[in-house]
Amino acid sequence: MRIGLLTEGGYPYVSGDAGLWCDRLVRGLAQHEFDLYALSRSRQQEDAGWGPLPPHVGRVRTAPLWTAEDDGVAYGRRARRRFTECYGELAAAVCAGSDEVFDAASRAMSPHLADRFGNALYGLAELARDEGGLIGALRSDIAVRTLERACRAPGALRTAREARVPDLLTVAAHLERALRPLSLDWYGDDALGAADLCHATAGGPAALPGLLARHFCDVPLLVTEYGVQLRSHYLALGPDAAAPAVRALLAAFHGRLAAEVYRRAAILTPGNAHARRWQERCGADRHRIRTVHPGMEASRFAEIGESPDRADPGTLVWVGRVEPAKDLVSLLHAFAEVRKEQPKARLRIIGAPAGPEGEAYLGHCRVLAAQLFPDEAEGVHAVGDNPVSFEEIGDPEAPTLPDAYAAGAVVVLSSVVEGFPITLAEAMFCGRATVSTDVGAVLEVIGGTGLVVPPRNPRALAEACVALLRDPERRERLGAAARARALELFTVEQNIAAFHCIYLEVVARCPVRRVVLDEAGEPLPFATPPEAHVPGRWTGPTARALTRGVPGWAAGGPVRATPLATAEGAQ
Amino acid sequence: MNGSGRAEGARDEGRAAMSGVGEPRAARGARGESAGTLGEPGGPDRPGMPSGADAWDARPGHWPAGERRAPAGATDRPDPDPWETSGTPTATEAWAAPFDARVLTAADASEAFEAPSPPAARTSAASVAVARTPTASVRPRAAQLSSPSASTRGGADAEPDRSRRAAPRRGAADPVKALLHRHRELCERAVDPLEIAAGLEALGITDRTAARFRHRDVFSLAEELYARVPRDGASRPYPEPVRVPRVSAGWILLTLLPGALGTAVLAGLHLTHGQARLPVALGGLLAVGLAVRAALRRGPLAAAPGTPSWRTGSGTRAWTLCLLGYALLGDGLLRAILAGGPDALPTGAPDGPWPVTAAPALALTLACAPAAWCAHLLAAGARRRLAGSRGLEDFTAAARPLLLGTFALFLGALTALLALCGAALHEGAHYPQALTLGALLLLARLLTVHHRRHAPALVLAAAAATEAAALALPLAGRLPGCAFLATPVQTLVDAWGTAAVPVLACGTAALTLLVHAQRTLTQASAHAPTGAPE
Repeated sequence: MRIGLLTEGGYPYVSGDAGLWCDRLVRGLAQHEFDLYALSRSRQQEDAGWGPLPPHVGRVRTAPLWTAEDDGVAYGRRARRRFTECYGELAAAVCAGSDEVFDAASRAMSPHLADRFGNALYGLAELARDEGGLIGALRSDIAVRTLERACRAPGALRTAREARVPDLLTVAAHLERALRPLSLDWYGDDALGAADLCHATAGGPAALPGLLARHFCDVPLLVTEYGVQLRSHYLALGPDAAAPAVRALLAAFHGRLAAEVYRRAAILTPGNAHARRWQERCGADRHRIRTVHPGMEASRFAEIGESPDRADPGTLVWVGRVEPAKDLVSLLHAFAEVRKEQPKARLRIIGAPAGPEGEAYLGHCRVLAAQLFPDEAEGVHAVGDNPVSFEEIGDPEAPTLPDAYAAGAVVVLSSVVEGFPITLAEAMFCGRATVSTDVGAVLEVIGGTGLVVPPRNPRALAEACVALLRDPERRERLGAAARARALELFTVEQNIAAFHCIYLEVVARCPVRRVVLDEAGEPLPFATPPEAHVPGRWTGPTARALTRGVPGWAAGGPVRATPLATAEGAQ
Repeated sequence: MNGSGRAEGARDEGRAAMSGVGEPRAARGARGESAGTLGEPGGPDRPGMPSGADAWDARPGHWPAGERRAPAGATDRPDPDPWETSGTPTATEAWAAPFDARVLTAADASEAFEAPSPPAARTSAASVAVARTPTASVRPRAAQLSSPSASTRGGADAEPDRSRRAAPRRGAADPVKALLHRHRELCERAVDPLEIAAGLEALGITDRTAARFRHRDVFSLAEELYARVPRDGASRPYPEPVRVPRVSAGWILLTLLPGALGTAVLAGLHLTHGQARLPVALGGLLAVGLAVRAALRRGPLAAAPGTPSWRTGSGTRAWTLCLLGYALLGDGLLRAILAGGPDALPTGAPDGPWPVTAAPALALTLACAPAAWCAHLLAAGARRRLAGSRGLEDFTAAARPLLLGTFALFLGALTALLALCGAALHEGAHYPQALTLGALLLLARLLTVHHRRHAPALVLAAAAATEAAALALPLAGRLPGCAFLATPVQTLVDAWGTAAVPVLACGTAALTLLVHAQRTLTQASAHAPTGAPE
């Protein structure tokens, strides 16, 4: 079947966010046709160009989000009235006070408000399709005046009522930016309308074309979110970024947009339970959520994971990017406790600092390690060494990432803040026993295959480490269980297989019903047979490579089923 | 406040239901003290529990242990009670005060919690009630404040060891309050509960952490924080930076360049004779054209980023050149045409058969500098008025005199320049033509700078077409049988002279644009700063 893959600032571009994941997905599902619809985020990204694309990517259409051409269409009176109505509805839905927003019964957004927002959004999209010129209209004075009226309306958000003229202008400009996908020409029958399924690789702007394709052509929408777009919007637009009124209105807009996406999507696939919770909080239906864990390349850890443990039995390893959120200080204090019980223990901290803050933090940790642990030597005549070593990947001691994990008997994670702990999953692939703090998605990743302690608790961390260091059998057992779990949940193959199943499920549950007309304009019955959705091409994968005018039997090489006939033909 | 009050009420009920039935383990641990002292879960049936509102206030020490709805009744009671009027703290204060004294040492923190509105006070007191673990330092003051109930509190004092064991390490009676204090800035500046949730998660607080605060997840914890933080609005005004466009030496020098080059070319023409004049004139024109182009590329006269459509941009440029060409040669040409000519090419002399009017042209090139300053004044003034106005109507009212003032300033500057040039070149200054043309060009440029490209292109085209028609009609009138075509122009010139044609064309156009600018350039969207927060 044909899948429209919607990305924002990502995949086909070389300098993209989720490029690796999308690339694996597209290459892994070669039996489907993919059309890429990419929104680029900056000029540098466009200049850097695309990465290599597999042959079953049918077409790539890109549009910039960072700039917009005003097509110079000035609205007539009717179009202007239509625009004012739709934009007014949108603004009113955004400005609605908290009384209206949430249902008293459920904590989700009230359906009435969600309908208003959705209708206004689709109304604007229809206007853009019929008349064009939406970008100019969104920048115009009508838009600002409509926004002001909505802000001053009774029942509006209290913060919105305080909006002053610069705030209104900022909000209008931001809305214009956010609504740029409405003006794209992607929603025709030759573009997204021809797809059987739209797969948005992120929420927010990437999912907006999918919403419109669903509205215009009834194409089901699948939204994958590895990071919650709404949450990153909140974190990005911090208190110092803009005035309170601006932040309140933009937060409301993005919240409503996210709710609309979650409401309309056929299936939502969050990357972890954390994203899932946010989606549920914003009104996603629980039955339509399938968590699909991100896939990681397992093969490079296979050797380490399958070979017996050759590590020094007293070595703890920490791997990651050094930054304050990793709480290495707590790890060092915990290690001090470990040393009281296990004097032979060593700690290897492997990782590069992230940014200037990370540099400073690393320096701080080095000083602390030097203070806590004096250098020590085997005997009187040997050169001493510190039990804590700071290394980076590529050093002679740890040339590759798998080697880094292989060096430790126990892998430790001491973060206080964590999203999806990739290092933990890698350690699981390596079959290492792990001790980690209970933050982010750690519990979800580790399951029962490692020890978990509360964050900011060096003593608990130390006790768990000592317990594992003393018990090689338990280490081995936990490591094997962790590897088995990781191989089942976090491989690329499971990721692709999960998406394959979800594609089939979506197409089976909400198929696109297209009416094909014959020459006379009459509907053609059975024009799109059910086989159109069968994975794989029944015409054969080589069919599209044929040059026109050459018969099929003449283009290929020798046909294996009839060797004799081919030989005769060759003579 | 209304909305948050309602939210609190709903949450309060939710919490009551939760603590009654499905209470998490942590909560039960913290409430061990109350369960221990009371013995039975059925608090209201306990002997010694008062039934009337007066008795409640008389013994504020009771309700935290058993009945949580009591403070609501106490604070909502219509008639004040003697206990309250005589200065004894009400139930809420009695329980909030020791907590403040212990946990929140900062003055701002306590003052923020001491004067909340009734619903907020009720909630904080209620949560104190559930979470309270009377550690040693709390009890003396609490007992002192609630002295009437000292005898009934004996049960709690009897088991100090148990209650102390149940207390967390930094024994906070209301853990949410401590959290609120720690993340006060985040909570105060958040625009909705989800922002607090995002911020808390970024600080490492998970659902397991939220369970310690007796919340199902971070979201409901964030909702409580959002509802409890005092929000008076005026506390933290956002410092709005007024981004006024800067004056830089670059564009000042660039806008002076056309005038300087124009003067140099005229001087060159005066000094040269014969064959050399033509290359000097052509080269000079080219140089001035390039200088004007450079001056319009930077500074306040630069068009907004974003490429205009090719037709609009090049059209505007072509019509402007036509208008300028007419200002230089048009009057002489029209006179020559009406006299039956033209017989010779212009020589550059003001008294030839096809005179060139150099003074207005020179004044216009010199006027690039005042035009840039006027555009700058308009932009800067508009930004300042944007920052200062509350509504769009305010801004429009404030921007209108600004626009008119700027326009008048430019006309004054141009008049002065015209007088200067006329005196320097010893020829007529041609005020009407030059002033109308200058006004037209300034308004067209201002509109283009502020994203209004369509109208100026149209009006400039109309003005140039009118002038071209004024030249073409007398020529067409020479054809046999078409003499009537020349009549309007002839009549006009007979009545008011050749200057009437450009004055009428440019004047009408300038007036049209002025009306248009009055409508559009006073809108806030015309002065929107580029770049939105992402």
